[in-house]
Amino acid sequence: MDFLTGEIVGILLFFIGLFGLMTKKTIVKTIMSMSIMESGIFLFYITINYTEGSVPPIGQTSEAAFADPVPSALMITAIVIGIGVTAIGLTMFMHYKQKHGITHWSRNRNQQGSGH
Amino acid sequence: MKETNKAIYILRILFAVFGAFVVIFLFLNHSEKIDTPLMDYFTADFLAETGAQNAVAAIYLNYRVFDTLFEALMLMVSVMEVINVSWANKHAEQYRFEEADFNRKNNSEIVIRMVGIIYPFVLLIGLYIIINGHVSPGGGFQGGAILATALITRYLVYPNFDLDLDMLERLEKFLFLAIVTTPVLYVFMQLQPADTVLSHSIYMIFMNSLIGLKVFSGLSIIFYRFVFYEGL
Repeated sequence: MDFLTGEIVGILLFFIGLFGLMTKKTIVKTIMSMSIMESGIFLFYITINYTEGSVPPIGQTSEAAFADPVPSALMITAIVIGIGVTAIGLTMFMHYKQKHGITHWSRNRNQQGSGH
Repeated sequence: MKETNKAIYILRILFAVFGAFVVIFLFLNHSEKIDTPLMDYFTADFLAETGAQNAVAAIYLNYRVFDTLFEALMLMVSVMEVINVSWANKHAEQYRFEEADFNRKNNSEIVIRMVGIIYPFVLLIGLYIIINGHVSPGGGFQGGAILATALITRYLVYPNFDLDLDMLERLEKFLFLAIVTTPVLYVFMQLQPADTVLSHSIYMIFMNSLIGLKVFSGLSIIFYRFVFYEGL
């Protein structure tokens, strides 16, 4: 199972999210697809530059090589921003739903159901 | 019409699969091995330079503190959006506490008992993770998220909206002001005492507490605003 590293799974998750963005016409599903793409990017970055047997970068012990702390520190920032983006999207969706009755990215207002 | 839709659907599936294969192929076969100058610089001597034993905390509180500033700004902007761009501010004025509704939601005895036992420990582990963020895994963001789950469990036990969200929002703005001023004075302008061993760790603990409280108030506001409209 050497093939299934975190980077590969991250790329696959990204393209699953892209597929959802392309095919689904429901606004909530679009927001969910964006979240899936985000998690793919997080996974890709967190597992990048991993070497076997490295220790967490805590303390000043130098028996083994440190793991790379830079992607983790970047992804802390990105995760919080992802929460903010999701919250903004859901709030705007609720606003449009109440004001115009729109739930789909479509000119036809009367679409219902989950097949879109 | 239906067959064209089906053909487009299959085309999209093929596009996604093809894209994933191209990216994985390029990543596996032609990815360039680059040196890690940033990692070498950050992990060389972070304990003496920043006073943090955790290299991640050293990066986001000292080396790359700009990231933290703008991330805090981003969270605050999204919280302001959630509060203000909301269709049902009228609903907020009409809301009344209804006894029957309250009793209907509040019917799980097991959840109430267990949450009553767990509640202080959740607060305790949140504060522990915030305060020890610079010597162990953890930090302000993680601890703040754990503290926010305490308020979420409060909603499970006592589904009422008497929480003062305006006060929390004002608190968040003040905390953001403090988060901006502290690194500007301490890191950028270098207003440090001669012996920086103690002041570095005080700075780390102070900044982690500020960030933790800010993330806590932001996530609580988002959660309560969303749950306020449930069932509408």
